Amino acid sequence: MKEVFRLCAVLTIIAAVSAGVLAFVSQKTAEPIADAMREEELQAIREVLPPFENEPDQDTVVLEEAGESIVFYRGRTEGRITGIAFVVTAPNGYSGDIRFMIGVDDSGIVQGIEILKHAETPGLGAKIESQSFRDRYKGKSLTNPEQWDVVKDGGTFKQITGATISSRAVTHAIARGLELFEERRADILGPGKPEEGATTDTLRTHEGSREPVEGKADTLGKPDDSRKPGEGKEEPHKDGR
Amino acid sequence: MSTGKEFIKGFWSENPIFRLVLGLCPTLAVTTSAENGIGMGLASTFVLVCSNAVIASIRNFIPKKIRIPAFIITIATFVTIVDLVMNGYFHELHKSLGLFIPLIVVNCIILGRAEAFASKNSLGISIIDGLGMGFGFTISLVVIGAIREVLGNGTVFAVPVFGSSYYPLLLMILPPGAFIVLGMLLGAMNQVEIRLAERAGRTPLIRKEHDCASCAIHRAWFNLGREGKRPQAPEAE
Repeated sequence: MKEVFRLCAVLTIIAAVSAGVLAFVSQKTAEPIADAMREEELQAIREVLPPFENEPDQDTVVLEEAGESIVFYRGRTEGRITGIAFVVTAPNGYSGDIRFMIGVDDSGIVQGIEILKHAETPGLGAKIESQSFRDRYKGKSLTNPEQWDVVKDGGTFKQITGATISSRAVTHAIARGLELFEERRADILGPGKPEEGATTDTLRTHEGSREPVEGKADTLGKPDDSRKPGEGKEEPHKDGR
Repeated sequence: MSTGKEFIKGFWSENPIFRLVLGLCPTLAVTTSAENGIGMGLASTFVLVCSNAVIASIRNFIPKKIRIPAFIITIATFVTIVDLVMNGYFHELHKSLGLFIPLIVVNCIILGRAEAFASKNSLGISIIDGLGMGFGFTISLVVIGAIREVLGNGTVFAVPVFGSSYYPLLLMILPPGAFIVLGMLLGAMNQVEIRLAERAGRTPLIRKEHDCASCAIHRAWFNLGREGKRPQAPEAE
């Protein structure tokens, strides 16, 4: 019995000392880790947005979409929003999710994408990280081209040879991201831009499946929304796999 | 054994990867590039040296019965330190090594050295042992990583060596490449060791002909069988 107590005491002491050391190290490294994370995020934002003067990670809008909160980082020049960056996830990559940041200008034209996380095959699917692939989406928007698919599926975007699944996943995820941006544009660009809200509404009439956005004159969009629930959102998903 | 020998053994005669064949999980998984090899190797070396040092200095206070949990707590503490520091100061490397940093805890080399060496030897020599084993591990990882990177990607330490006309042999940076390179290197090292031993007139560390009968684990069993003393299955029960 005595021995059990001794063993317990020794292990407790060792564990307590370890905990103390770890608490100290954790406290010391908390700030550098937070800085590194923030720098990483800013780096990705810088990569996908046109030059900005503010700190986009301090100027964000958070929206709830399908139970997920999406952060929109707003880059400004002379106080005007010139670009918005946000993270999208492609759930249908070749191996696991592909997370990447999209940057668009205020009219919804892609300014750049930056892959944040993926587990695609090195040398094949991993080429989605390459500049030449990412540049294929630069300057594109929902209306140009209208077919957001890879060439193999009859679309406009050239897939990476040997990595059609990865290319397709990225292409569709960008299209979904752009749709989300169009849908929630008024919220994302912040209050005080009624004239842009109006243009979005006319754009949105052929799409369905979202809750009406608050604080907007929705007489045009609403009846359409209620007529086709659940459509539109799945549209870019026609996978053929 | 002298201090120098304790240090050198990790590179050749007791090389953790090629002789002891320990710690193969990180070896196979992270050696897609030479840089990853260095990062993983140095992180493991740090943990190995620190845990060896701590365990050697408290070895007389740790009761035999709880030595394994005590070792694991010590190792896990240092691994967490490495994880936190690397995340803060070498963020890119931390991202590319990912999950394998926390997994250093279960790297057999570290627990193996704690159990087989540090818990029986003094502080100074344990640190030397940790350094030697750690650097032996690091160099092995870098060699495997460099070979895989050069064949699979045409670069070494991200510097192109073959020019743009080289068509990379993708297989080498995919999982099978790890097994192929490890196997080839193991074979080559054994061959060199046999030659060296022949020239020096000593017994080689490995045998020329290898079968189950010459394996240390099974030798006793085979010898019993040869002498007809091996217990039959029903009798054994």
